[in-house]
Amino acid sequence: MFHMIISGLLLGTVLGFVFQRGRFCVTGAFRDLFTTRSTRWFTAFMVIVAVQSIGVFALDAVGVIELGGGTFPWLGTIIGGFIFGFAIVLAGGCATGTYYRAGEGLVGSWLALIFYILGAAAFRFGPLAGTTDSIRSIEISNGNLYETIGVTPWILVILLVAAVAVAALRHLNRERQVHKMSLPATKTGLAHVLTERAWHPFMTAVIIGVIATLAWPLSWATGRESGLGITGPSANIGVFLGTGDMALVDWGMMLVLGLLIGSFIAAKASGEFKIRVPDATTTVRSITGGAMMGWGAAWAGGCTIGNAMVNTATFGFQGWTALLFMVLGTGAATRIFITNHKRQGAGPKPVLSTVS
Amino acid sequence: MTKHLLETDGQVCPFPLVEAKQAINQIDLGDELIINFDCTQATDSIPQWAAENGYPVTEFIKRGAAEWSITVRKA
Repeated sequence: MFHMIISGLLLGTVLGFVFQRGRFCVTGAFRDLFTTRSTRWFTAFMVIVAVQSIGVFALDAVGVIELGGGTFPWLGTIIGGFIFGFAIVLAGGCATGTYYRAGEGLVGSWLALIFYILGAAAFRFGPLAGTTDSIRSIEISNGNLYETIGVTPWILVILLVAAVAVAALRHLNRERQVHKMSLPATKTGLAHVLTERAWHPFMTAVIIGVIATLAWPLSWATGRESGLGITGPSANIGVFLGTGDMALVDWGMMLVLGLLIGSFIAAKASGEFKIRVPDATTTVRSITGGAMMGWGAAWAGGCTIGNAMVNTATFGFQGWTALLFMVLGTGAATRIFITNHKRQGAGPKPVLSTVS
Repeated sequence: MTKHLLETDGQVCPFPLVEAKQAINQIDLGDELIINFDCTQATDSIPQWAAENGYPVTEFIKRGAAEWSITVRKA
């Protein structure tokens, strides 16, 4: 069994590396919609969904995996999604973002991660699991769009890919008109590409989309019949640490451990690892946000990855509803904590005056 | 021409960019703003902001492990 789940560790390591180097932050993608009204990173996020959608329905067509079915626990998805979206602003990153920032040495993310694991474990298996069961028992029996309206999923795949392609091309066209500065290169060849150069968000998104697709057959082969997922494995870590139950050590747990390893390797190799200790405000926000993330993800049935990135690719009602309410939650928290940001002593200090 | 320093080390993203936007409003046209930051994501978001707003970047360097400095001119 162990040789099977090791593929989760390897895939997670690659994914952690790509997230760190690509500066891929789903929280940022949602937040930018409100702070700068920019859809650049959100479009990149949707590129992942589109690439993965093609991939998973192709795998389904050839019989490697089997999609469809499921129900739609709408109330938990709506409330949990909103809580999760709100929480990721406080924590400074979604579940994946928190894992990879932990690997970069951000102590605030270590705290968010610990409390996310605790929150997810408490709401999935612990004393609060009853609330999750209750709210998720309120459901609609149809789980996905294509089975409900009775069409082949490929019609939806084509529509999604076309819409995302139009949005991506619009961004690429606009980019040609501005000149963005990059850091001076100090490395050459592969080292420059992998550990120095700024990756284009859409390129990173395509790579993540391919990794997310590969996750399905690799995870399926170990008996875990789903794609990328962060919250379930994180809750399992919490329970495993308390019980030592080896049955919890699965492909998903290896995946999230890989995220930490991969982002640490990426940050270290790029000279971007530094232990950074947060101030008092950030510490409180990281802890609160982390715990709320575990709560929201449990009620919603997944985080920005499992729900908003994976369940959307399979046209699940839960995924798209969660995506919408996560974005709304992020918007609410952004209005409160980002737009009104004021830091004591923050401001420009004159350092050098010259007569020009 | 005056150079101004905005120190944001220790601030997590997106706060370095949020503070940079506030700071650029407080300096005179033609002045330069040096922004020190140590959150990785800002290596993308700050030059992107400068490019989209037409602020020339006169310097962009890595100061050390996970520490950067970017200088933009208010234009």
